[in-house]
Amino acid sequence: MYENFVREMSRRAFLGRGAAGLGVVALNSLLGPRAFAGTQAPAMPSRGVVNPLDFAPKAKRVIFLYQAGGPSHLETFDYKPKLAGMTGKPMPESFTRGQQIAQLQGQRLTCFGPTHGFKPFGKSGQVVCELFPHIGSIVDETCIVRSMWTEQINHDPAHTFMNSGSIITGRPSMGSWALYGLGAEADNLPGFVVLVSQGNGGQMQPIAARQWSAGMLPSKFQGVRFNSVGDPVLYITNPPGISRDMQGDSIQAINALNEVANRSLHDPELHTRIAQYEMAFKMQTSVPGLLDMSQEPPHILEMYGAKPGDGSFASNCLLARRLAERGVRFIQLYHRDWDHHSDVRNNVVLKAQEVDKPTAALITDLKQRGMLDDTLVIWGGEFGRTPMSQGRGGRDHHIKGFSFMFAGGGIKKGLSYGATDDLGYAAVENPVSVHDCHATMLHLLGIDAAKLAVKYQGLDVRLTGAQGGAVVRDIIA
Amino acid sequence: MRQLLCLLAVCIAAVGEVAAQPDRPTFNRDIRPIMSDTCFRCHGPDRIARKADMRLDIREEAIKPTRAGRMPIVPGDPDKSEIVARIFAEGARVMPPRSAHKDLTHAQKDTIRRWVAEGAAYEGHWAYQPVTRPAVPAVADASRIRNPIDQFIQDRLRREELAPSSEADKRTLLRRVTLDVTGLLPTTADTRAFLADTAPDAYERLVDRLLSSPRYAEQRTMRWLDAVRYGDTAGFHGDNPIPAWPYRDYVLQAFLKNRPFDEMTREQIAGDLLPNATVEQRVASAYNRLNRTSAEGGLQPKEYLAKYGADRVRTVSAVWLGSTLGCAECHDHRFDPFLAKDFYAMKAFFADIQETGLVPDRGARAWGAKLALPTEAQRAALAALDTNLAAARLRLEEAAATKAVPPIDDAAREVALNARWQAGQLAWTWQRPIGARALNGATLTIYDKEPIDSNFYLDGSLKTDTKPGDGLVVASGMNPDRETYVITLKPGAGAWRQIGLEVVQDESLPGARYARGADRFLLSEVEAELVERGQPARRLSFVMATVNDAPPAVSAINDPSMPPLAAIDGKLNTAWGIRFGEARNPFVALRFADALHTTADTTLVVTLRHDSELRRAVIGRFRLALAADAFAWPPTGTSGSRARSRDESGRTTWASGLSEDAMRALRRPADDRDEVERTAVRDYLIFSNPDLADLYRDVEILETERGLLDSSIPSVVTTVSIDPMPTRILPRGNWMDDSAPIVEPAIPRFLGALDTRGERATRLDLANWLVSRDNPLTARTFVNRTWREFFGIGLSKVIDDLGSQGEGPTHPELLDWLASEFMQKWDIRHVVRLIVTSHTYRQSSLGDTKPDPENRLLAHQNRFRIDAENVRDVILQASGLLSDKVGGPSVSPVEPPGYLAALNFPKRESSASRGEDLYRRGLYTTWQRTYLHPSLLNFDAPTREECTVSRSISNTPLQALDLLNDPIYVEAARAFAQHAAAQGGTRPPAFDAQLAWVFDRALNRAPTMEERSILQRLYDRNLKRFAADTAGAREFLSGGETPLPANVNAVRLAAMTTITRAVLNLHELITRN
Repeated sequence: MYENFVREMSRRAFLGRGAAGLGVVALNSLLGPRAFAGTQAPAMPSRGVVNPLDFAPKAKRVIFLYQAGGPSHLETFDYKPKLAGMTGKPMPESFTRGQQIAQLQGQRLTCFGPTHGFKPFGKSGQVVCELFPHIGSIVDETCIVRSMWTEQINHDPAHTFMNSGSIITGRPSMGSWALYGLGAEADNLPGFVVLVSQGNGGQMQPIAARQWSAGMLPSKFQGVRFNSVGDPVLYITNPPGISRDMQGDSIQAINALNEVANRSLHDPELHTRIAQYEMAFKMQTSVPGLLDMSQEPPHILEMYGAKPGDGSFASNCLLARRLAERGVRFIQLYHRDWDHHSDVRNNVVLKAQEVDKPTAALITDLKQRGMLDDTLVIWGGEFGRTPMSQGRGGRDHHIKGFSFMFAGGGIKKGLSYGATDDLGYAAVENPVSVHDCHATMLHLLGIDAAKLAVKYQGLDVRLTGAQGGAVVRDIIA
Repeated sequence: MRQLLCLLAVCIAAVGEVAAQPDRPTFNRDIRPIMSDTCFRCHGPDRIARKADMRLDIREEAIKPTRAGRMPIVPGDPDKSEIVARIFAEGARVMPPRSAHKDLTHAQKDTIRRWVAEGAAYEGHWAYQPVTRPAVPAVADASRIRNPIDQFIQDRLRREELAPSSEADKRTLLRRVTLDVTGLLPTTADTRAFLADTAPDAYERLVDRLLSSPRYAEQRTMRWLDAVRYGDTAGFHGDNPIPAWPYRDYVLQAFLKNRPFDEMTREQIAGDLLPNATVEQRVASAYNRLNRTSAEGGLQPKEYLAKYGADRVRTVSAVWLGSTLGCAECHDHRFDPFLAKDFYAMKAFFADIQETGLVPDRGARAWGAKLALPTEAQRAALAALDTNLAAARLRLEEAAATKAVPPIDDAAREVALNARWQAGQLAWTWQRPIGARALNGATLTIYDKEPIDSNFYLDGSLKTDTKPGDGLVVASGMNPDRETYVITLKPGAGAWRQIGLEVVQDESLPGARYARGADRFLLSEVEAELVERGQPARRLSFVMATVNDAPPAVSAINDPSMPPLAAIDGKLNTAWGIRFGEARNPFVALRFADALHTTADTTLVVTLRHDSELRRAVIGRFRLALAADAFAWPPTGTSGSRARSRDESGRTTWASGLSEDAMRALRRPADDRDEVERTAVRDYLIFSNPDLADLYRDVEILETERGLLDSSIPSVVTTVSIDPMPTRILPRGNWMDDSAPIVEPAIPRFLGALDTRGERATRLDLANWLVSRDNPLTARTFVNRTWREFFGIGLSKVIDDLGSQGEGPTHPELLDWLASEFMQKWDIRHVVRLIVTSHTYRQSSLGDTKPDPENRLLAHQNRFRIDAENVRDVILQASGLLSDKVGGPSVSPVEPPGYLAALNFPKRESSASRGEDLYRRGLYTTWQRTYLHPSLLNFDAPTREECTVSRSISNTPLQALDLLNDPIYVEAARAFAQHAAAQGGTRPPAFDAQLAWVFDRALNRAPTMEERSILQRLYDRNLKRFAADTAGAREFLSGGETPLPANVNAVRLAAMTTITRAVLNLHELITRN
């Protein structure tokens, strides 16, 4: 019986494959004017609304290693020797006048040099903090952008802005946009997966589920959070006492009953419902399979520093590779604990221990599997930290300049791009806004960010906002 | 999905209608939608964005030459009109420019050309025209006319050469109207009664019964709460609970009493400003305080005040005006005649609301202005307590000042104190328990010399160390909701006056780092017994409980709802607890009534009871200590760092026994002390004076009682009006830019002006205008939104935008007729009744979809999935689990473990409600804005972080997983099967009888032969499986809190549960047909 069911399911087409009835028709038509515009793009078909793609894609998927809390660029990727020389001196007012400041409001602003050394790594000689030797070892694969800037200075809105390009809630997150535009590759896993790891330093600002929300897009585009405790995907586990065969039987009966009803109703939603029950059943197998790392050889576990099941960033990086292999479109890893208002010197050591090795391992592993070429890896947080000191050796939130690291997926290798001023305060050379970053990401995926829009409350809502973002062509290979 | 369909239709309508349009193009129907989408951005109302000095949204502007001398439109002469030339142009000259990605179709271009050729007549935008009462069209065939709605609908159908459908069958109709009006299924009895009622007005009587039910009020409330973005938590950052539910109950009562919408509007927006505002009206004014707020340290108050204000404008605009005034926060509206100035003038109405940018989420000042809602009895009890407390405080003060007996001055007492302290007489002696067990299943492990891993905060960072436990007791393993720890100590020979409990924070503990669950620990009661060898155990009594909190920490950590004395008051329903105490180890010192003398063999058995309603608020790690002094102060313990030493016998002691402030004071000469230190010494001398102990205790007991009573009184955030803050236009929405002028409150200019006789306009003026006859938008917006609930799509389908980027209504006269009908008395129930008693509503949903794929002309009814809360409601209802309790505090259904793991301040796990509250309607679920309950989120309930007037309807695999595997739905299936066995009968063929009962209850119909055979097969197979695996059957039935009868046949019930589970997963169950 169960065998029959599996055969029956394989025979069927799944949602996202064109058999879901009205849904797909509606999605394709959503483009509206696009459909009549006669694009000049090469006919690159996709499973999403951007079909054909606007450009030949360089990346098929994105892995966003989101360092939540606001990593200090001054202790990671942005070496500022002049700032070091000014430690303890007042921050020149010419830098800070009229600028937003978070917890340092009304306080004396004192320069605070980098608390760790930097050195050049690799053939490209990109300068990275010494605490990150593993990242240093793969730095020739990456492009470090040192001129990011954002608009929101508190965590919650800054996350919202980084994810959705808007501070108004209810806008789709970047993963939702990517999934919406490109459709899903996997038919047994969600197309947008979110993993959250806690840091060991305890600077854990909350992260709202809104950060991976689909906003006004249908909820099938929302990020699905995989949990490290309980069900990895909510409600993925059969009730106690129900075996897989029994679950399969039940789903088959439910779908058969739905089919009976449909004979008189001809309801397109009913077809979708049937397909979704089938997909749910498939997920019930594929998710445990995905999480079962027993097949990973010891040297791979060692390379990441992953202990399966511990919910660490390292394990999540390995999981990200497994998700990527299985066709998940957008994989977002949140690593919490970068909010170093005090003792940035020691806290960043902890962070380096947690993220340096796995980040490098992921890039290396993707490369050795030939997947780095079409996987865009992004490393960065919602903002940076002040070159001024706060409290006991800490740094406050900072929005005018910070660093991101990109790799794979059509990104130039071994390039450092953009710069902050001498004190690491503001991005002055080739500044890259959040919207620019989004536009570049979508471009690499084959999407013109200016065209990917949904009408909502009378506006064309875009990931890149009303003003749009500029593709940073200089960092594209 | 519905949203997508709507959008799809916009595209089709824009193209399809024009292509098929034989008659003259009209501005509102044909031209405005094109221009709004493609031209107005650069040639519309926004002066700054305007290009080439060309403005096309106003005819006078469009027909005069631009600065460059071009004529945008020459009426009647397309060849001389610049706009025609440009839209037909090629290359760089084409309009809209390529960069806009808004290419016009040939049909659209042609339409514009024809419209110019025919004179380029403009029309005012429909939504801004006064609401008139259109004549009801006459329809020749009156057989399917039940009220004027049908005349409007059928008149249009006839013109399109379509015909209305016949009425749906009675079962379908009953199910439809019951679901739409109440969100619940008709009961078996309802079905029987309605089918039997053959009177001509049977349906109308049914509708009246439904409309007067509290279930109707609940359903209306659910939708209204989306619009006013009601949530039970703050929404930003720590997302802590806000006192809001009394507002929800106001809304419930208002709908139940069918309060007119104009009154409801006035009360919500300006209830506090009404003359002699009642409590109810002030509760209603909580509306203004439902916006998200943040308690994140380091936020700029000014920035957040700007956010809160903008939220209020967006909400009023969407809910009452059906407009996107929010778009004008940064610039003049691109499509509608709203100016940025209008946005800020609207915001200025709310500038008198007392609020702060950083809204505290704890302590006495939490959430700003609140309104307490005591009963008369509570009010009287509180007043009595206040009187008694004042008197007790006075007695203590007087005694402290005058009657210190024997007469020793403070200096002498201080010298004595200093000596006792220095001599270590105030020290606490840590105990290494000789036994520790938990009564309900947890495992307790004692760590003394043994090393234990700890993760704790020190100086703002998380530290990890592995050190000997020093008597630490750690709970692990099973984690029951309630737990009792029994600890045995063997203190050795001595005399003791106090026992202390240190609650040790650790990062591994999900409940505020103290407890094994929930968001706090709650210690209901501490008991102690003295056991001497060969003698019966002697129960010890306590007289005082003191925690190691000194000002100012008291306000941050001590919560009057969980005071320390509650741990020794003999009541299990009160408890000592702590919720916010980052990086602190609270220590409670419990004073014995009498000194305790121990010998080497004496054992002391301490019982810690956690018996609160909150699940798993059970301490995870703790230590016990004893003190010989009756007034040794509980030691200060930040986690990880403590001043410890070892006494001669090698036991760890805590030498302090005084508060930090008092110790600091004693270390320096009296003259050098600051105010805090002086107070600390004086306070401690009063506290530790044995002659004052009884008076001191009286005060503490009264304060505890008062705190408990006060915090048991519900309260609600409310609006308090103060001198308005100046409201500036913020250029480009930039809150740091103070360069633009201050604006006064005003309604959008193009909609008129308020006459306030020179006075500053108030929120009450705004509310009055919103529901005045001069305002064309409110009634249209409301009836359009209401229409959507009953047909799945609005008459104008963009519910939140009746502006030019929205959609002209399919039946403008009907919309206006309904709006004018509504405005007569603002009677909501009347409008709903009109809609659901119309033939249009009562039509069958089986219709030919070809001529009108989206069914905009309503030749038949529509079919759509019910809303998230109702999915839960109907499943619980069918299974017999649903509670019919109305109103009250929000409740927490069971939530997956770890669901809130990414939240902090405090770190927490959700703790499910108890008993009946586990089975309440979805409406009452605690609306945790950043982590809405997953089963609501899965079915598209909005997070209510922002006003939502139309939910999307999706269909996802996560919904399937939810309905299949969510424990509450498995429990529902089991309960349903139990009822089926009891009600449906067990006599052969029992399966058929039970199945018929199940179908009737869930689907209001009988199963077909085919359905029966599908389910019979499933039943037989599972019966066989469970017979071979009775343990599996029991496991399957074991979930949830409804009891399983002892004598149940588990195999048969489990098999039947798989049948009810299948039925509860049917598309039909959650579809309103």
